Amino acid sequence: MFLVNDLIALLAANLIFSQALGTSTLFAAAASRKDLVRTAVTITLFTTIGSLGAWGIDNILPRPMKNYVSLICYTVIVGILYAGFLTVLYFMGSAKFRKYKKYIHISAFNCAVMGTLFTVSGRAADLHRTRDVLCYLGGGIEAGIGFIIAALILAAAYRKLTSEKVPESFRGFPAMLIYLGIISMAVYALN
Amino acid sequence: MKNTRNSVFDGILGDNMVLSSLMMISPVIICGDTLKNALALIFAFTSITFISMLIGSFVPKKLPYTARIIIYAAISSLVYIPVRFAAEGFYPESIERIGIYYPLLAVNSLIVLQSEAKFYRMKRSRMIGSLVFYILGFDAVMLITGFVRELFAYGTINSRIVSIDTLISGLGKPFGGFIFLGLMCGVYRCIRSAFRAKNRNMS
Repeated sequence: MFLVNDLIALLAANLIFSQALGTSTLFAAAASRKDLVRTAVTITLFTTIGSLGAWGIDNILPRPMKNYVSLICYTVIVGILYAGFLTVLYFMGSAKFRKYKKYIHISAFNCAVMGTLFTVSGRAADLHRTRDVLCYLGGGIEAGIGFIIAALILAAAYRKLTSEKVPESFRGFPAMLIYLGIISMAVYALN
Repeated sequence: MKNTRNSVFDGILGDNMVLSSLMMISPVIICGDTLKNALALIFAFTSITFISMLIGSFVPKKLPYTARIIIYAAISSLVYIPVRFAAEGFYPESIERIGIYYPLLAVNSLIVLQSEAKFYRMKRSRMIGSLVFYILGFDAVMLITGFVRELFAYGTINSRIVSIDTLISGLGKPFGGFIFLGLMCGVYRCIRSAFRAKNRNMS
């Protein structure tokens, strides 16, 4: 029962179905199941480690400045992670670097990662838990897992949504948007 | 002249950044449910994107790709600060409602990715022309979405009540945004292919 409740909570707070964050990235990677999973995993890394950075920033920045300055601070965090991940990958060997670098490029600056940092920060402020690092870490992991779930749900229907049976004008992206809309409606009902 | 005309259709009809490439769809889906929100988003997107990309075009190409991308994102995040100040004066209620989607406009794909792939390969004068029409393409979609969703979801236009028989409250919700954008995307493709067929027949 707890597992079902957790799953429902995860779906309800899903960054794609309830906030439409990272939808473009999801579609960009949707053509291949491998790409989708790898992108989702990379985004999870960014959201999880990035959330720790957001925790640090939120505890340093004075509240009146947050609305204006947090974006540039989060951008610096993601920028450092972006360069850091590429450097680590580079030292893992040139073959791996060539194979996996595109996932880091796709995942760095997008709504899924930046949006998660803002969402996690906002939620911590609402719950008065800005000093609780676990609240941030949990939010980052949850967002990443949410993205993976959304990726799997899209991957399940991808072939049908791009098949020739769908009218040409609606084939691909438009059908995917409507499909995500229907799933989002179901998730909304769970709320 | 032909090039200029092409760039108009590139940004608005031929390659609309929202309807063709599905860039920046999160704010359209979540916040594009009223005309006021749409106007606040248009103000921020237009000013941040235009100024950031103009400044970004001066970043030396000798720098590594990753460094350039980080610099573009940092520039737009800095441009966001005065734009946010101004927006709080013009659209105080909308800023509150838009929430996290307002800063997200500053790190949009047009600035971070398309700048490198498309715009900074052009001459600066042509880049500015093309950029203006891409921005107008986003603005047009945002306006249409805000107008139609507000009308049918809440029965108002710019917060003024209008007489309308059919209300679809779901259009104001995120799932309504997904479905509406999907339908709009399909209609856009229909219109685009009709235009292309017409142009082909004429030539």
